[in-house]
Amino acid sequence: MLTTVTTFRKGLALTLGITMTALAVAACAGGGSSSGGDIPAAAGPNEHVELTLATFTEFGYEALIPEYERLHPNIKITHRKTGQGGPYAQDMMTKLAAGSGLADVQAVEEGHLSDILSKSSKFYDLTQVGPADASPDRWLSWKYEAGKDKNGKLIGYGTDIGPDAMCYRKDLLQQAGLPIDDASVKAMFATWDSYFAAGAQYSQKTGKAWFDSAAQNFNAMVNQLPVGYLDKDDKLTVESNQGIKDAWAKVTGAVGKGESAKLTAFSNEWNSGFRQSAFATKVCPAWMLGVVKEQAGPENAGKWAVTDAFPGGGGNWGGSYLTVPTQSKHPREAAALAAWLTAPEQQLKAFQAKGTFPSQVKALESPELLNQTDAYFGDAKIGELFVAQAKKVAKPQYKGPNDGQIQDNVTAPALQAVEQGKSPADGWQQLVDGAKKLAR
Amino acid sequence: MTTLTTRVSRLGKPRKATYWVLAVFVLGSLFPFYWSFLVASRDNGMLTERVPPLLPGGNFFANAARVFDTVPFWKALVNSVIVSGTVTLTTVLFSSLAGFAFAKLRFRGRNALFVFIVVTLAVPTQLGIIPLFIAMSKLGWAGGLQAVIVPNLVTAFGVFWMRQYTVDAVPYELIEAARVDGCSMIRIFWNVCLPAVRPAAAILAMFTFMMSWNDFLWPLVVLDVGNPTVQVALEKLQSGYYVDYSLVLAGTTLATIPILIVFLLLGRQIVAGIMQGAVKG
Amino acid sequence: MTTTVTREGTQAGVRRPAPRPGLRDRLSRWDVKASPYLYVAPFFIVFGIVGLFPLLYTAYVSLFHWDAGDDNPDFIGLDNFRELFADAQFWHSLENTVSIFLLSSVPQLIIAVLLAAMLSTRLRGATGWRVGILLPYAASLVALGIIFANLFGPRYGLVNGLLQTIGLSPVDWQANRFASHVAIAIMVNWRWTGYNALIVLAAMQAIPKELHEAALIDGAGTVRRFRHVTLPLLKPTLIFVTITSTIGGLQIFTEPKLFDAMPGSNNGGSTHQFQTVTLYLYQTAFENFDLGYASAIAWVLFLIIVVIAGLNYLLTGRIARTSKRRGA
Repeated sequence: MLTTVTTFRKGLALTLGITMTALAVAACAGGGSSSGGDIPAAAGPNEHVELTLATFTEFGYEALIPEYERLHPNIKITHRKTGQGGPYAQDMMTKLAAGSGLADVQAVEEGHLSDILSKSSKFYDLTQVGPADASPDRWLSWKYEAGKDKNGKLIGYGTDIGPDAMCYRKDLLQQAGLPIDDASVKAMFATWDSYFAAGAQYSQKTGKAWFDSAAQNFNAMVNQLPVGYLDKDDKLTVESNQGIKDAWAKVTGAVGKGESAKLTAFSNEWNSGFRQSAFATKVCPAWMLGVVKEQAGPENAGKWAVTDAFPGGGGNWGGSYLTVPTQSKHPREAAALAAWLTAPEQQLKAFQAKGTFPSQVKALESPELLNQTDAYFGDAKIGELFVAQAKKVAKPQYKGPNDGQIQDNVTAPALQAVEQGKSPADGWQQLVDGAKKLAR
Repeated sequence: MTTLTTRVSRLGKPRKATYWVLAVFVLGSLFPFYWSFLVASRDNGMLTERVPPLLPGGNFFANAARVFDTVPFWKALVNSVIVSGTVTLTTVLFSSLAGFAFAKLRFRGRNALFVFIVVTLAVPTQLGIIPLFIAMSKLGWAGGLQAVIVPNLVTAFGVFWMRQYTVDAVPYELIEAARVDGCSMIRIFWNVCLPAVRPAAAILAMFTFMMSWNDFLWPLVVLDVGNPTVQVALEKLQSGYYVDYSLVLAGTTLATIPILIVFLLLGRQIVAGIMQGAVKG
Repeated sequence: MTTTVTREGTQAGVRRPAPRPGLRDRLSRWDVKASPYLYVAPFFIVFGIVGLFPLLYTAYVSLFHWDAGDDNPDFIGLDNFRELFADAQFWHSLENTVSIFLLSSVPQLIIAVLLAAMLSTRLRGATGWRVGILLPYAASLVALGIIFANLFGPRYGLVNGLLQTIGLSPVDWQANRFASHVAIAIMVNWRWTGYNALIVLAAMQAIPKELHEAALIDGAGTVRRFRHVTLPLLKPTLIFVTITSTIGGLQIFTEPKLFDAMPGSNNGGSTHQFQTVTLYLYQTAFENFDLGYASAIAWVLFLIIVVIAGLNYLLTGRIARTSKRRGA
């Protein structure tokens, strides 16, 4: 009995102890802002420093890490690599909320950037802790600017990008009587209007779909607008933003004409859709080529083509940033590592290893990148093509808090609902209500 | 009289139809495993074929070799065996002890404590990961295997189950007889209760092992990168925009083998309770 | 919760051997008094270390407008709860949850008991059959996701293919609210029926054969023996299965998440037509970073589960009791 009671009390005391500390920590978890003078000093050149680097999917850093350790014998790097973005995001979120456990260098995907920027107090300003050689002119300016919060604090160094191009099935276009010579295709894909008009023609003639899903096009269209879902004051614009309304009308109009294959991107049926030739065109950021190749399979080799005529100009889908959370005890060393990894030379090596398309101006000038071709797409000069597309991207659109959520969890489902039979007007209402709920 | 004897002796003998019904269920249960093995022994193209092949291809060992090249499988296997083995042993032991106490011993606060345990089952677990990570960091356990083991040393599910089973499976007469013989409580538990609840303990062991073996998110968040469990290690096979399922499913097929071994070993323990003979006298 | 325990007149813990003076007796008395607490202590110690704090944490956080990583969250009292009760999406997700729960639990438990009855016969290769029906529980979620997507794909799915071959029109398993619930329930049942059957089987193994023999001599047939001998003695186990299935069913998360065509999505379909409460809770916390609101959802769901599980407990107790009375 006695033992039991003591154990009980011990357990209880321990728990209460933890609870109280944690609550205290949570309640007064101030500090951590990097703007003050509280940045930990840099370690001496011989001081042993252990850094962690957290990435997801493939960044192509496997060979670079030992190289950095050779160059900096006092630094030891642990690489935390997660396979998928989903679990990675939850892991990062948990540790951000818990106030500990984040890596010294933490990779953030473009889609989560708006969330991170709205919590910029939890990250170091890289212009303060980072090395001088990581200057703005290293990156394409839109990529660099997108890594800043609205007060101009630089949260992330850009790694890779996903410049948009358009993929299309030459054979299917030809069968439908559409032109497939370069100049005509470029004219056909010049604007969203001409793109959807060609689609209407295609679908009417063949009874088949023009593109894979409405959301894929809509996202690209909204990303081209000067103002996105939220303005610089973090006010929701959906109801007042004519660009978004127009994009909605065009896309849902195309759905009404049977242009959408109604296959949710990356779903199982979407995968099958490539083999079944369920659609004739596809928004194709650089990294999508590999997906098309694998899903469409060898039997469709040579049928797919890629063109640098992307409706409405350029665009970007995907790519990441390296950040240094304020949880890091060695922000200067961490920022130095992040800067080194995102330098043109290293990003080119990462590109060679895993095909991540670099965002650094110098890297984009490299002959290796420019001369790259792809046999599957009829020996298209994809290096040159995507470099050109990367340079077409206009100035970055400001992404307010929950921007990524609005895109993935509000507009994409609303468009899916329209594809499943909801009227465009009701779908629009669903979009407005959902966006309002998120922005509250 | 003869008919009655034959009827009694036939008691519990299955009809042919029973085998057929069970066969249908087992086939349905086996399908995903077979299908996983099919993909693992072929390549990704199989997933999008309209008529999938029925027989395995020849790539399984090549795919399995790629798994071993890509992730530290053996190290992860050892970790998983340590974690799941420990958690299974302690959960079964502590749950049986608590189940015995709640079912057969009288003590102040018994009902209240038991209801409390059952009620904790109803707490949604999704949010717990954040405070649990805070707690583990404060205790200095984050990173080590103890962070995965300690939260699962004993579960409310286990206690609830063992208590419900013990109620009817262990007759009071036996406990009292043992008390009269001067047995200590722990001896009664060990010699009288535990043998009687063997089927329930075996099932709890199967469930606990399985749950722990397939746990993914919490180990991913809390374990050090050099110290993964099998599920955490295998997750790295799914990287990139395009998933190579022949590789992923080769990994999951390999990871399922230990579960099957444990199931087969423990499944034998679900035998008719030994109390059957004992009550007769 | 006391009904099943106290029906026996004597309790082992109370009945002690005749008093004898001396150390042995004192030890023995101490053994009787302390042992129960010692035996239940491990649970409470573990709960104290890892269970209690999360509970208190979510309760505390639910009173704040607490964005994950907030430095100075605003204390808003019960506003999160007030907002929740007016939140159409929450009620919608609760409807989905209850609908999927009913579509899955009811057939699942009935089939589980019948399966257990079959498995408790003297089968050749008994272990093989038992492990066989438990296998779905061990199947990899990756494989399941793909297989069920292939089965219930609106366009290329096998089920729709079959429906069309026999002249029926295909069903949009993703878009149609009820159809999506049915598909998810099938997934749930496939995964969990064998698991519950095995639990019931273990309990059946504990029923003394003599009882069956006695009933047989009284001329009872299979069905009557099952109703009047087996069922009443299964009562504690049926209570267990009902309560755990209620809890598991109302917290259903993995299956609807796997079912969504959008990989990894927590939306539960284009119009949340199969978003369950736990999916909504998860989305609120880990996608929208609204920890305070998510905590409020967690607490309300917890209370709803306790109430429904309590009702089911009473119901199960009554069913088992009636059949026993009739049998006696």
